[in-house]
Amino acid sequence: MNREATTTDNTVAQNLAEFSSLSEALDYAAAGVTGCNFYDAKGKLSVVLPYGELQRQARVAAGRLLSLDLKRGDHIALVADTHPDFIVLFFACQYIGLVPFAMPIPLNLGSHAIYVQQLKGLLTSGKAKVAIAHKEFISFLEEAAVDNDDLEWLGTPEQLSDITPSERPLEPSRPEEPAYLQFTSGSTRSPQGVVITGKAVMSNLQGITRTGLKVHEGDRCASWLPFYHDMGLVGFVLGPVASQLSVDYQRTRDFAIRPLQWLRLISRNRCTIAFSPPFGYELCARRIRSADLQQLDLSCWRIAGIGAEMLRSSTFKAFAATMAETGFSSNAFLPCYGLAEASLAATFSELDRGLDVMAVDALTMAERGIAVRVQSDNRKVNEIVNCGRALPDHEIMIVDNEGGLLPDLRLGRVLVKGPSLMHGYLDDQESTNRVMLENGWLDTGDLGYLFEQNLYLTGRRKDIIIVNGRNIRAQDLEEIAEGMDGIRMGESSAFDIETGDGGQIVVLVVECRLTESTARQSLVKHLQRKVYEGFGIYCYVDLVEPHTLPRTSSGKLSRVAARKGFTDRVDLAQAIISQAETA
Amino acid sequence: MPASYEEIQEKVITELSKLTSPDAGLTEDSELVTELGLDSFKVLDLLMDIEDEFDISMPVNLLADVHTVRDLATRIHTVVNTPS
Repeated sequence: MNREATTTDNTVAQNLAEFSSLSEALDYAAAGVTGCNFYDAKGKLSVVLPYGELQRQARVAAGRLLSLDLKRGDHIALVADTHPDFIVLFFACQYIGLVPFAMPIPLNLGSHAIYVQQLKGLLTSGKAKVAIAHKEFISFLEEAAVDNDDLEWLGTPEQLSDITPSERPLEPSRPEEPAYLQFTSGSTRSPQGVVITGKAVMSNLQGITRTGLKVHEGDRCASWLPFYHDMGLVGFVLGPVASQLSVDYQRTRDFAIRPLQWLRLISRNRCTIAFSPPFGYELCARRIRSADLQQLDLSCWRIAGIGAEMLRSSTFKAFAATMAETGFSSNAFLPCYGLAEASLAATFSELDRGLDVMAVDALTMAERGIAVRVQSDNRKVNEIVNCGRALPDHEIMIVDNEGGLLPDLRLGRVLVKGPSLMHGYLDDQESTNRVMLENGWLDTGDLGYLFEQNLYLTGRRKDIIIVNGRNIRAQDLEEIAEGMDGIRMGESSAFDIETGDGGQIVVLVVECRLTESTARQSLVKHLQRKVYEGFGIYCYVDLVEPHTLPRTSSGKLSRVAARKGFTDRVDLAQAIISQAETA
Repeated sequence: MPASYEEIQEKVITELSKLTSPDAGLTEDSELVTELGLDSFKVLDLLMDIEDEFDISMPVNLLADVHTVRDLATRIHTVVNTPS
C-alpha cells in the first residue's frame, strides 16, 4: 500500500472524458499515476487507490461477480460508504455489463428501523440480484433482505473476495446499455430509480469537465459528498476518473462534525475543485472559528461549486467573509443546476465570476410570475442567483402550465433537453411518461426563468422540501404518518414554510381521530421522532379533524392549499417558538 | 484511554446539559431527540465533544440504535474499550 497520496501531476496526457464508456475511461486513467485518496476523521491519509490499482481490483472483482452466474444487465445494490471498495465494485460492474446502484448509510440517531425499511424498498424497487455492504452495515442489509426472493447473493466485499474469479472474458457495458441506477428519494414505499446509460453519463462528464469546469492539468479534487448522491458519485467519483484527476475523500459524517477538515484538505493538498450544496458552506461558516483559519491557504481553490438546491446569496457572503484571510476568492463560487434525471449537471455559470445575483421585485414575482429587476429602494426584493447556461448540446426552455413557451424573465417550469438525459425511471412507464415529454424534453418540475440564456432558479419541485442540504420529498414525510395506526393514506400533508428571517419550519398536518389529549400528545411526539429518525429534521406536527385537509377536484391532496390553510389557522410565531423550545 | 461506564455517562450528561435547557431533567432514560429535542446541529456538537474528550471516532452504524442517554453512553463505552 502506498504511504503517500497520489500526485496531482500525471504521466499521461489529459483526456477530458472523450471515452465511449466508463470502463474505457478507467482503462485510460489506469495508465497514469493519479488516483483516489481516503482520509480519516482526523485528516490522516488512510487508503491510497491509484487508478491503475483501481482498474486491477475492479477487473478481479468483475471476475468474481461473473462466477455468480448473473445475467447481463442484472442489478447490484451497494451500500455506499466512502470507501475504496464501493468504487472498485462500481467499476467491476462496468467491466461485465452489470448495473450497480448505490444505497445510503444510516446517518441519523436512532434510525435503525427506518433505515432497514429504506434498504428494503431500494432492494425491491431496484430488483437487486446481489447486495453488498461492509461489515459495519451488513446486519442492516441482512435484515432488509429477509423475505426478498430476488437476491441471489448477499455479503461483504471480503466474502466476495473468497469467490474464485471466473475465467470468462470481461465484456464491458456498452454505451447504449444502462451504466448505473440513481435513486432519488428516501421513500420506503416507492423509491424511484433513474436509469442512466453509459452514453448519457459520458456526455454529461464531457460537458462538466470541458465546459463547466474547464479542467486542466494541475487540477485536483476534494470531496465529502456521499457516494450515493448524484453529485458525489458522478461529480466526484466518475468525473475524476474520466479526467484522470487525483481526488481526496473524507467521509460525510466526518465533514459534518468537523467541517474544518475539508478546508484543511483543500489547503494542504492544494486542491482546486470542490463542490458542496449550500448547506456545506453554511456549516463551515457556522462551525469554524477564525482562530482555526490561521494555517489555511485556500488561494488554490479555483472552483467552489454550489449545486443541488436554491441558493441564498447571504450564505456565501458569510462564507467568503469568514474565509477572506485564507486567500479564498469569492470569484471561485460556481453555481450550477442539475438533477439526477440529467445524469448530474444541466447548467453551469461562468468561471471566475462568483455569484451573479439578480434582484427582482418580490411582489410582482409572487403575484404575476414576472421577474422585474429593481434597484435598491424600499420595495421587498428577492435575490435570484444566476445558475448559468445549458451545457453544449443541451437546451433549457421555460414553459407555462399548458406547455406554452415563455419569454425571458417570465417564471415557469424548467425543461431540459440533451444527450445527458436519463433513459427513464426503472420499471415505471407512467412516471417516465409524465416527465419525458415530446421532442426529447424533460420536465424537471423545477421553477425558474431565463434571461439572456442564463437560468435563474426560483423554486424546486413543489413537493420537495430542502432542509440542511437534504432534498426531502413531501410524500416521504407523509408516508411516515400514514404508517401509523389510525392514519390512512391521503390523510396527511407535508410542506415547509419560510419564516422570513431566512429560516424555515417543516410542517406535517395530519387528520386525527383521537380525542383524548394525552393520546394526541403522544402521537405528535411519536411522529416527530419518526421524522427525525428518517430524515434528521425537526417537524411541527399539526393535528386536524378528519376530512378537513383540502383536496383538488380529482380528490388528490393539495399541499399548496394545506399550506395556506395552515398559515391561516396557526400562528406562525407560535410554531416557531415551539420549534425553538424543543430544539 | 479506558473509562468506566459511569464516567462516560456522567460526561455525556455534562455535555448534554450545555446543549439543553436547565430544567430538561436529564437522566439515563432521557430520549435525545424526542425529549431533549436535539436537532442535527446539536447532535454534531455533542458528537464532536465526545469524540474529542475520549479520543475516539463514533462509527455511524452504532448511532442508528441510539435513542436514549443510556444507549449513547453504552456505545461510547464499547468504542472506548475496543482496542483500535
